[in-house]
Amino acid sequence: MNYPVWELYYAGGGLLIALIAVVHVYVAHFAVGGGLFLVLTEMKGLRENSPAVLEYTRKHSKFFLLVTMVFSAVTGVGIWFTISLLSPAATSILIHTFVFGFATEWVFFTLEIVAIFIYFYTFNKIDNKAHLIIGWIYAVSALISLILINGIIAFMLTPGDWLESRNFWDGFFNPSFWPSMFFRITIALVLAGIFGFITAVFIKDTDFKEKMIRYCAKWLLFPFIFMVLFAWWYLAALPDAPAAMILGRSPELIPITKIFAAVLPVLFIGGLLMAIRMPGSVKKYMAFVLLLIGLVYMGSFEWIREAGRRPYLIYEHMYSNSIKIEDEAKINKQGLLSTAKWVKHKKINDENIFEAGREIFKLQCITCHSVGGPLNDILPVTKKFTVFGMDSQLNGQGKINDYMPRFMGTRSERMALSRYIVEKLHEKTETPAKVAVKQLPVNIPPFDEKMDEYVLLAWSKFGMHFISDSDSWWLLSPPGNDISAQLIRRGETPEIVTEGVELTYKVEPGFEYPSKHVKFWDHAQDIFGKKLPPDIGVTGYGLKGKMKLAKENPAFIADGIPVVPYPDDKTFNPYPLFTIEAIYKNSGKILARTRVVAPVSTEMGCKNCHGGKWRMEDVAGFSNETASDILAVHDKISKTELLKMAKKGKPVICQSCHLDPISGTKAKPGLLNLSAAIHGFHANYLTKREGDACHACHPSSPDGHTQFLRGIHNEIGLDCTSCHGNLEDHGLSLLVAEEKAGKKSVKRLMKHLVPTRVDTTSHIKPRNPWINEPDCLNCHIDFEQPETDETFNLWTKSADQLYRLRSDDVGIMCQACHGSTHAVYPATNIYGNKRDNIQPLQYQGNPYPIASNKNCKVCHTIDMDEEMHHPNSLAMFRNVR
Amino acid sequence: MDPSLLIPTPDSIPAHWGWLHFFFILTFVLHLLFMNAMLGSGIIALVKSLKGTRQDLPIAKEISLKLPYTIAFTINMGVAPLLFIQVLYGNFIYTSSVLMGWYWLSIIGIVIIAYYSAYLFDFKFDTLGSSRSIFIAVCVILMLLTAFLFTSNITLMLTPEKWTRYFSNAGGTILNLSEPTLIPRYLHFVCASIAVGGLFLAIVGQIKAKRKTGQENGNFKNMISSGMRWFSYATLIQIIIGLWFAVSIPNDIILLFLGGSSFATLLFLFGLTGAGAALFFGFNKRVWPSTGAVAFTIIVMVLVRDIVRAAYLKPYFVLSDLKVEPQYSPMILFIVTLTAGIGLIVYMLKLATKQRKVS
Repeated sequence: MNYPVWELYYAGGGLLIALIAVVHVYVAHFAVGGGLFLVLTEMKGLRENSPAVLEYTRKHSKFFLLVTMVFSAVTGVGIWFTISLLSPAATSILIHTFVFGFATEWVFFTLEIVAIFIYFYTFNKIDNKAHLIIGWIYAVSALISLILINGIIAFMLTPGDWLESRNFWDGFFNPSFWPSMFFRITIALVLAGIFGFITAVFIKDTDFKEKMIRYCAKWLLFPFIFMVLFAWWYLAALPDAPAAMILGRSPELIPITKIFAAVLPVLFIGGLLMAIRMPGSVKKYMAFVLLLIGLVYMGSFEWIREAGRRPYLIYEHMYSNSIKIEDEAKINKQGLLSTAKWVKHKKINDENIFEAGREIFKLQCITCHSVGGPLNDILPVTKKFTVFGMDSQLNGQGKINDYMPRFMGTRSERMALSRYIVEKLHEKTETPAKVAVKQLPVNIPPFDEKMDEYVLLAWSKFGMHFISDSDSWWLLSPPGNDISAQLIRRGETPEIVTEGVELTYKVEPGFEYPSKHVKFWDHAQDIFGKKLPPDIGVTGYGLKGKMKLAKENPAFIADGIPVVPYPDDKTFNPYPLFTIEAIYKNSGKILARTRVVAPVSTEMGCKNCHGGKWRMEDVAGFSNETASDILAVHDKISKTELLKMAKKGKPVICQSCHLDPISGTKAKPGLLNLSAAIHGFHANYLTKREGDACHACHPSSPDGHTQFLRGIHNEIGLDCTSCHGNLEDHGLSLLVAEEKAGKKSVKRLMKHLVPTRVDTTSHIKPRNPWINEPDCLNCHIDFEQPETDETFNLWTKSADQLYRLRSDDVGIMCQACHGSTHAVYPATNIYGNKRDNIQPLQYQGNPYPIASNKNCKVCHTIDMDEEMHHPNSLAMFRNVR
Repeated sequence: MDPSLLIPTPDSIPAHWGWLHFFFILTFVLHLLFMNAMLGSGIIALVKSLKGTRQDLPIAKEISLKLPYTIAFTINMGVAPLLFIQVLYGNFIYTSSVLMGWYWLSIIGIVIIAYYSAYLFDFKFDTLGSSRSIFIAVCVILMLLTAFLFTSNITLMLTPEKWTRYFSNAGGTILNLSEPTLIPRYLHFVCASIAVGGLFLAIVGQIKAKRKTGQENGNFKNMISSGMRWFSYATLIQIIIGLWFAVSIPNDIILLFLGGSSFATLLFLFGLTGAGAALFFGFNKRVWPSTGAVAFTIIVMVLVRDIVRAAYLKPYFVLSDLKVEPQYSPMILFIVTLTAGIGLIVYMLKLATKQRKVS
């Protein structure tokens, strides 16, 4: 922003600071504990009148001088150099806030140097008491140095009241000052013991060597106990957010935390072992191993502390990428490039998009990410993304996983960055495979208006069932479509026939054996606890069979038919046809025959963001790469082990944890329902995208091979959002209901969701999935022509008001005459319009709703003049073709 | 591209800039004294070690004993002015440092190696024999390199018009080689270091000669005359380099010292007088008066340098632009600690010298 960014690429990602800081901090803590060690050991020598102990102290002081004076002092300056190169803006704040704190520390640094020189060079040359005084001056100066620097380091993690007051002392005596200070002091003492071993193991006299090693072991072991207590206090004193970050919110930190926890007992046991008598060569080896373990311990602690600050450099004041929180809104409004000083391209155009993307990359990413380097490499974590996926990742970054800052900038800047990462860093070019959609022939069954006695109307309740064929990994829902039908005996007073007849269904040839195309049946036992015969669905229906009479209404139904969109000819066809026959039970005579599509699609766009390709024909289906990545992300965010389970051959179905009102599986109480979880989560990544957000996942894309929104509403220009709102609105409506149900996890998902169809979240009306849906009558008030083409936030009160479950007063289902949900007549279908208009064409010769244009004769055999099915039912159909 | 648009917005300062400026100048003078003594005596030690005669080696050995101190205090005394310059000119020096990031960071490694070489030269002076020259050579070369990198950074910091090079090289490998003042400025510091290094030797000789007798006394006497020779000739050459440096500075700035600003002109005259006095006392081998003249000259030159810096940055920035959000209690803490610290150092030195064990 304010400063130029050093293009490190390979050596980025904190590599430099890690290399310098870890070793410096290690030796610097030794410089503090070691000072006390020297003076107390010298006192011990004097007390015991032991020239050997004094000589050991002298030798140790030489080692100490060389390690601390040279290495510690210079690397200390090195940290300063490094942070000012990597994060000049944050360094500037530290320096400007604490200049006199640093200056005071410098005085003690000077005292340390003078004292340790005098201490070493006057050993045995000046009076004992005078020498001890010098030693004490060193020890106390070093301790005060630690306390002063501790205040400033702790400030970055917990600035406390400074955020408001900007007062030096508020910043210095911040909330983690005391526990951090005591913790560091005990570490310093432990390290004094560890470094003591290094000189002690070289003592020639074996007995004396053992004595001194034990003495050093005490330095390690006694403070160790307090160190653990202070560590606990330190963690307890942290505010919730950084504590949560340390305790697992940041997935990248988990291995480091594990190392820290694992090394802790090793260090203690190492100290104990050193106290046991054993051959000198073994001890020499062990002393250096312990030194290394100490380094790992110190390094992991500092790493954890640093990462606890995420996504900030200075907590709640400056983000990790050196952008101040107060600038975020301005950058989002005006753009990053026009706000930043050190950029060449202030505006993005077609020519400079990659250069501009690179500049944005530098400003926002490079502080924490290397490119191809050993630390925090950006390449593996972005490898899976398409430009759309990268853009969406940036869109949602830092919202749910708040260990990274959110992307800051305009939409075009976000796209420039996405394209730079995908097309330049990964050198990916996207040429979407264009697979032509073939028109599929449909034979419309015959109907003789004069002679035929029956009208058989059929539909698919949900209008589209999309299934995941990721069966070896996880299952969104089992394959299972439904067909509904109503049989009407024609006449002046027609009758809905429910008795004495049998309705059968049969899939068209090529679709009879779904088990040849998906692995669902291999895993059904694991998922549902019962073995399913091949090609038979969870409800017991197969690809042909008898329909049953529904309980709630006078319609026949077959649900859970395990049809898949893969015919045997290895193509993709999401609209398989079923033939329905009504048979007179007594005689077996076929009373009526019709056909209907049972739409089913695997064209779920998860791969857009989760990587991988389509499984089938470049048009649909889950590749292993896509399916496994979804589990990996779920595991990462929700701390599950789904990927591990899947790899062991135990895939799960989403509904086994997340409630889904229509599937009826047992869910885990307290977890969000499936719709709320999926939409609420992804809404964070797909804001302000209108219909594109829906198409990203659902098979509704205008470029896709399903295009399931195929009713008249699609033809006249409406899209998903017309009824459901933008994804943010849609997700919020589900989340608000879960919030009302007392589920706390909604907070994380809702925090950054801003509604677009209403002013604030408080205006969002809660809804339960599959029950509270947009009602047709919201727009078609009194079945009239609507005055608006948009409805959101007005839901059906209960399931019986849903289009798919509603009927008129005589029991004719809405869908029987108007067609399936999302495919209301006259429908269009990319595989041929006939496919979705079979019954209107069969019974009327046009694609309009049954009995439209006053065609009452379809059932009544005569013209009628009473609008008994619903008001306005005798009006002429408006959207004629 | 207008370079002034690149200059980062500075953060506010907690005390009037005058205070920070005072501390900056004060600690910078101290840093320069130690740095000059370190680098200069190091160069002399290298020459002496290479010559390796009976007169030269005791001097080289004496320097070897002193180098760890002078390095330690050069670093230590460098920390404070680096701190204060960041407060006053952070937006300039952070920027120039980033532009030469790899070079700037490499200083840490370079100094560590130089430092350990100096320790080896000290601890193993006798056992190493003539190969000791390698260690002092490594030490000196690395110190000279460090000085060059510092000079490069400080000149780059003052010339924002050069910063646009970042747009063709953002990898942190820009050295300000096209800067006309770079070489004379660098040589000016090195030459000053040789002079002060010589004087430092003479001072050590002067103090120690008094305490010693016989051969040792002779060595120290020898050290005084040798040191003063280095001092005098280096100062003489310095006048020529100084002129070169002055000529390389943009006219409008150098004119300030030639009547453009009466204060600057007066200061410059003081500096020339100090240098003249140093030369006079130097060739007369008068150690303490030379020391006084040098201290005076260095203080004056630091102030001259400060005026030059301000003049360079004037089109972009003046210190009084800095926003002050006053909080004086930490500064008072610093002043109290500094005073007490100086007292403690004096006390420790007394303990070290007066409480000698009777053996």
